[in-house]
Parts: sequence; structure tokens; C-alpha cells
Amino acid sequence: MACSTGLQAQQELMLHQQSQLWHASATNPAFFPADKKFFIGLPSFGLDAAHSGDVTYNDLLRKDGDRTILDLGKAIDKLEPQNEVFYDQRFELLSIGARLPGDIYLQAGFATRLNATVDYPKSLAELFWYGNAPYIGQTLNAGFSANTFDWHELSFGLAHRFGKVLTFGGRAKFLSGISMLVTDENHNAVSVYTDPDIYQLTLNSDYGFHSSRTISAIDTSGLGFDLVRNQLKNGFSSNNGWAFDLGAQLKVGQKLTLDVSVLDLGGSISWKKNTNYFRSQGTFEYNGVEIPGSDIINGTTDSLDFTAALDSLNDVLQFEKSAAEFTTKLPTRIYLGATFQLTERWAVGAVLHHQKSERRSATSVGVNAQWAPVKWISLGAMYSVNDQSAANLGFSLILKPGPVQLFVLSDNALNALTPYGSSAVNFRFGGAVVF
Amino acid sequence: MQYKFWLRLLFPAVVLLGIYPACKKVGLDEAEVAGHTAEYAFPLMSTTLNMQDLMFQVLNDTLSGDTIVVNPDNTMTLFYSGDVAEKPASDIFTFFDFPPNAPPIPIPDTIYEYPLTVPDSVTIRRADVLTGELTVIIINSLSEPIHGFFSIPQMSKNGEVFKWPFTVAADTNIFSPVLHLDGHTLLSDSNTLQFRYEAYLPDGTRIKLPEPFPGFPGVGLRLQNFTLSYVEGYWGYSEYPLTRDTIDIDINQTSLKGNIKVKDPKVTMVVSNSWGFPTRGVVKYLSFLGKDGTEYKLESTVFNNDSIDFAYPSWAAGEVGQTKYTKVVLDGTNSNIAEIFNAQPVRLIYEVAGISNAKRDPTITGFLTDKSTIALSMNVELVLEGSAQDFGAEQTLNLNFGDYSDIDTAKIEEVEFKLVTENGTPISAALQLYFQDENGMAIDSLFRDEPQFIMDAALTDANGNTTGSKRTETFVTMDIDRFDRVRRAKQIFLQTYFTTANGGMVPVKLLATQNATVKLGLKVKTKIF
Repeated sequence: MACSTGLQAQQELMLHQQSQLWHASATNPAFFPADKKFFIGLPSFGLDAAHSGDVTYNDLLRKDGDRTILDLGKAIDKLEPQNEVFYDQRFELLSIGARLPGDIYLQAGFATRLNATVDYPKSLAELFWYGNAPYIGQTLNAGFSANTFDWHELSFGLAHRFGKVLTFGGRAKFLSGISMLVTDENHNAVSVYTDPDIYQLTLNSDYGFHSSRTISAIDTSGLGFDLVRNQLKNGFSSNNGWAFDLGAQLKVGQKLTLDVSVLDLGGSISWKKNTNYFRSQGTFEYNGVEIPGSDIINGTTDSLDFTAALDSLNDVLQFEKSAAEFTTKLPTRIYLGATFQLTERWAVGAVLHHQKSERRSATSVGVNAQWAPVKWISLGAMYSVNDQSAANLGFSLILKPGPVQLFVLSDNALNALTPYGSSAVNFRFGGAVVF
Repeated sequence: MQYKFWLRLLFPAVVLLGIYPACKKVGLDEAEVAGHTAEYAFPLMSTTLNMQDLMFQVLNDTLSGDTIVVNPDNTMTLFYSGDVAEKPASDIFTFFDFPPNAPPIPIPDTIYEYPLTVPDSVTIRRADVLTGELTVIIINSLSEPIHGFFSIPQMSKNGEVFKWPFTVAADTNIFSPVLHLDGHTLLSDSNTLQFRYEAYLPDGTRIKLPEPFPGFPGVGLRLQNFTLSYVEGYWGYSEYPLTRDTIDIDINQTSLKGNIKVKDPKVTMVVSNSWGFPTRGVVKYLSFLGKDGTEYKLESTVFNNDSIDFAYPSWAAGEVGQTKYTKVVLDGTNSNIAEIFNAQPVRLIYEVAGISNAKRDPTITGFLTDKSTIALSMNVELVLEGSAQDFGAEQTLNLNFGDYSDIDTAKIEEVEFKLVTENGTPISAALQLYFQDENGMAIDSLFRDEPQFIMDAALTDANGNTTGSKRTETFVTMDIDRFDRVRRAKQIFLQTYFTTANGGMVPVKLLATQNATVKLGLKVKTKIF
């Protein structure tokens, strides 16, 4: 079974085991391709996304000619009472590295990253898709939590090899926030109750979220509930922070290599510009237009006017906006790996990955084998286990024609080839030129 | 080798092409929502109709003087009142008429009995002057001066008879200063007032002033602004009109249709009387009129030959200034009013006259003061307890669906209105509602056929009191074609038919505390294909 049944993002286990790749240094700043002196990293894109349960892209979206159709009907049946979506994207635009005399390695790079986690109840999807009428008399939980932000990352690294066996590396990363939306963990409850009487609506709200650039206002005028996106772009250094990577690689004998790294250590972004806190709190009851009986009787009201009804229905959430600075923390990741070179063409290895953030913590382990049938082609496979699934089969293909390094790899190969039919997808591809 | 080199470069391209689907960006913003149905439910409106407000408005909206009284047991009594016919004594009885700008009263002799103006059959014994301005005119045509005094022996103040001394030079005319008479009391037993003067020549000879012209006496007087505060005497038999009025019974004048029975209707006549002599009220006319103009004469055993004696303050008992009340109640025990009300009369017409000293008692001393009045009021009194069958009302209301008018109905499959009533009144209601365009043309109706019962009456006990509230739910489903018509309506024509509990067969009580809540919700089933 290639698909995971629960949410478990694969954290580039396969990339980490390809230490000869220049881009593998993203998982350990002590990694540098052997016997090379100058490195130019070409664009590389990695995606790590998953939905809890077995909800797939095809359950949500399908193509009809040129049209993309959103259809929640199938997906809702597969949803669990509480669901989670994880999305981690990395786009490394350019990186460079050089080996200096004295076994000192320098590196620098620029990347854009996105980290998103959304938890939502099944009832929210039901409410959206089927309306509230099928749930009259029930209290529907419509609150969802989100932790999503993206940022630019400018990194500078330094590594040093001690003797021929031990390499230490460190990397400082300047983080510049692009946009952010993080719900308040202490205030993320929204429920909707439709009274069987005449469908009076009661909305209990204790909900808050921080936003920078993503949403600048919530417009409930007219009949809409519009999220007004901020037109102001956060400059490169407006909302910023730092993160640090540390790593080490140890060669034990001629065939065994051990490594350890801690990534995004202390990583955080302090959001100060275009940053607001939105809060909705209270119980909002909508009972329709309440016409005083005396007005009808006395002729004060000589008409039934429902115009105000929809207008007031619109304003029930009543978000209040206030400027408030906020800090997001990057998940800290730890890699622990080992590679054993069996023969000139075969190598085996193992890797452990642990990720810890404020909202989720996950551990995965994998064992891999690497085969190089010819010098410029390397094929790899990995079996990995994580918190939710014990059946993940990874794959890697690395081509090294001349100074060029091209690679495509995935911790879950079948999902990567059929991403629309998978609840989780993980892949990374890119290229580099090394001399 | 060259082939192998290009193959090495091409191979990654082939692989990358293979994983293209995994990387292809999908624009969710451009995604269309798949066809499905959803259903949304929300409330439209609610209102609570209070029985007291309802009765105040339905029964009391056009005519003044109508009153609903909430009784201690929360029953309500409806009073229809005619105008209070208040007759000051001066409207009927005129005493001592000295019109302004009237010519002076000639005094042809030294003693002159002036006839007072009094109503027929009345003999004045005493009158108290409230205001009066007297001017004495003396014309001395003699060649020598005169002196003397003018007096009214029957008029005194604090025990002193009214007297004015004068001196007039020869061949001279004089006007006395204005002599104020307020506070004086006149005593008379013959409806006359004696004026007297004594004039003397310088040698003491008493004379009668000669006429300066033939037929024009040498003494006269002018009396202005003369009013009395009290008159006392004998009132003989005399008939005079008191009031004629109409009371609209608008409970039966609304556009309501159907049958209604009111339990224990009453007509009450209240007379407040401060006239100090016996007065008999004579009912000249007392009839209800039906909608078709049919006259229903109200007959009662209370009246004696259509007459009744009003209570009055007695001079003999020292009740001067008091007001006495006479209340006459005509109800089912002493009249045919219950039968009349079954015919739903719309108007009561009555005419009452008065007769003073109808018994012609010569020994009675009567009185009037300047504040004496007799007032007669007539009320129709209905305790709101009864029964009704298909008692109908019609009303037109403007209608504005607001933004619902602009909804794209292509995405709506059907709508369902839910009408809920919570009725604490003993009245059930059937309803039909016609949706009309701006010209009043019906474009659809709420119910397909006949009006439907949308509100059941609350249960009642043996006394006609409600024992709780009754909830009724009515669902009206409209397909999109009907809803499309209805939502464009500009007004609704409402026909409501009320029937009291138990099919309108037994009387029920309408209490001020009773109310009915009417609520409306809407379900909209959408379709997207």
C-alpha cells in the first residue's frame, strides 16, 4: 500500500541519502560533493503535501475539457470528523558553493519556502457543500485552524573538514516573510446551530487569527463575505527573522559514513508590517426580521420588507481588526543518517527524521539501497515507516552527465507518479553544475 | 559516442516530462463547482400579536370615544360612547335678560314694578347677582335744582338696600357712575323687580320728574353684563330637548365578514345632574340600525312609558352645588339587546328630552346655579366574550422581498416556506394570501385552493378560558417557477377568517394577556449543474 492512511509528510528522506548531490546540502550543511571545488545549484523544486485519511486530489477536483471542476461530494464521504492538510513547498532558485584551501567550504543560496498546516472538521465541508438545512437541530462545528506562512530564505554557510573523516557545517539563514495566516490556538471555535423552529441561526464564535498580507479586511457589506487581500507587499526585510542549520558528517573507515543535522534551529519570523489580528467573539443569533406586533396592528408597518434580513445575516461574524505583531516559528528538523558502500556500484543506508513544531511532531525512518549501473546514472529505492504508515516505497534517479547533476526523487514514488490519486505526495527535482 | 552523449542529455528530459503531471499547477481560483444540490434554511420574520393591541386597533381605530378597559381578571370590556350631551342651565333657562346695547329701561313713575324675564312655569324667589353694571339716568328739565335718591328695595347687599343719592342742577341731565351690583341679592315672589326714586325741590317738595318730551320719562336706567350666580324658586312642568346622538358600533363596521356573537352586551346611560329640581328623562328614540338599515328598537322594562326620573340635588336637603348621578343599564335581563346584537348592529341612535317637575308638585323649591348642568352619556358596553365563525378580515400590505428579488433563480430548485403559529388565543385562523403586482393584479396565491387553517385555537376550559398555547406548522412548497413569480410581487392581499374555539360553537373569553406569535422560515434548495 503506497498511500498513507493518515497524515504524514515525508521529509525528504531520499534527498538526504544522496549526499553526492549538491542539493542534498539542504538537509545537512556538512554535505558537499566529494572531489568537487565549485558548485552552482540550478532551480530545484520540492513538494511535500498530504491530506489525512485517503482523500485525494481526484476526490476534490477533476478535469472536464479545459474546465477544472471542484466536487466535494466524494471527498466528504471519506472525511474523518477532524481532518488535516499539510503542505510544505521549497523552491530553491539559486545556490553556489566553493571549496577553499584548507578544506573549507563556503555556500550561499536563495530559496522561497512555504509551510502550511490546516485542520478542519468534516462538518465544515458538509456545511459548505450541502448547506445547513440537512443539519437542522444539530450543532455544526465550523471552526478550522490554520498555520500557513511563506518566506524568502537567504542563506550563508561554512563547513570545514577535519582530516579526511569529519566535516562540520553550519548555515545561517535570513528569513523574510512574504505572507502569513495563523489561527489563534486559544480561540478557534465556531459553531452553527439551525433551530428546527423556523431555522433561527445561532452562531457561536470564539475565533481569532493573525494575518500579514494574506487578509487585510473582512468585508461583510452587501451580500458577500469577502476576504480583502492586502495589496501591500511585504518588502524583503519588513518581516524577518533568522534560522540556523548545523550538521556533521563522519566517515568511519572506507565504507561507512554517518551524519547528523539539525535544521531551522531557532527559526522564527517576526511579523511586524501589514500584520493584524482579527477576532470574532460572541453568540450571534439571527431570528429573521422581528416585526413588533403592535406595529402591524397599528399600521405603523404596512409592508413586509425582507431587505434587512440578508443584510444583518451578513454581519453575524463581525470580525474586529487590530494591529498586532506576531511571531511564527519554523519547525525544527533533525536528520540522522548512515550509508554503507557495499561495492563500487551498490550502497545501502538508513535515515531517521524527526520534525517538531508547535502544532505537530512526526518521526520517520527509512532504509535505502543505491545502485549505479553506470557512472553517470544512479538509481535508488527506499522503504520508510512513519507515524501513520509502515509502507512507503521511495525512488530516486540521479543523472550526472559531465558536470551536470539532474535528479528526481520521491519518498513515496507511486504517489509521486499518480499525485492526483494519492492522499500524499512527495517529490523533489532539480539540477546543479559542479566542477 | 555522439549518440550516447545526446541520449545522456535527453534522458533526464524524458524523466522530467514523465513527472509533469505531478507538478502541473492547478488554479483553484478558476475551478468551477460541480453540479450538486444544497439546501439552506434560515428564518424570515416573526411577530407577536397581542390580543389587547389587536382589539384596541381593530375595534378602536376609527372612532374617538371608544375605550377598551382591561378588567382585573384580564377580560376586556369595550365601550362605545356617544358624545356627552352636557346642557348648562343657561341653555334651557334664561333669566333677567338684559341684552347688551339695549335701550335704557324707562322709569315712568317714582315706584315702578319692572317685569323680570323668566322661563315659563318658573317663579323666582331669590336671585344672587354675580355681575351687573347699573347706570341711572336723570333728566332735570325744571328751572331749579333737585336732589333725592334712587333705590331697588328688593335688592340688598349685606343687609343694606341698594340706594343711590343724586343732586341735579336746573335744566341738566346726569348719568350716575357705573354702579356694580355683584354680591347683591334679589328677593321677589312675583317675577317683578321694583325700581323707586325720591326727588325733591330745594324747598323740600317731593316731585315726580316731569317728562322732558311727551312719553319720555325723566328717569331711566341701563343694566349691563348682568349675570346671576344662583336662582331659587318654583319650577313648574316644562318639556325641553336634552340630546340626540349616534354611536357607531365599529366592531360590526369593519370589513370583517362572518358570524359573531357577543355575550352579554349592555347599553348604559349615565346622567349627571346638578339642576336643583326634578327632571324626568324621556326616551324619544332608542334604536339600533343594522347593516342594511333595518331598525331594531331597544325595548326595556327599566323605562316607565319610555321615561325615567333623574336624580337631582335637593334644595330642601341642602344639596345646592352637588351633582347627582343616574345610571341606567340595559342588558339581557331587562331588554332585548342580546337579540339585537346577534344581528350585528352597526349604529345606536338615541334621543332624550327632559321634563321639569313632571309630577307638577307645587311644594318643591328648586334652584339653579351658574354652574348647574345636566349631562347625559350613552355607552355600549361589550365584554369581549363570545364566539365567531369565519369572521373574516381583509388587508393589503406592501411587500418587498429585497435582495431575494435579485437571486439568480437558475440556481434554485425549489423553496419551502415554513409558517409557525404559537397561539395563546381561543381564535383559530384560516388564511389565503394573494400575491399581487404593482397594479393589484393577482399573480399567485399562497395556497392552491381554499384558505387553509394556519393557526389552531388554543384549548379552552368550560368557562371559555384558554388553557395553554397551540402550535401549528404549515409548509408551503413552491417550485422555482412559482417562487420566481412570487418574489416579484409588490403587495399581498390577505384574507383571514377567524373562528373561535370548538368551531365557534361556545363563547370564549378574549383576555388582554393572550397573544399569538407568527413566524416564517424559508428553505431554499439550490441546484448547480
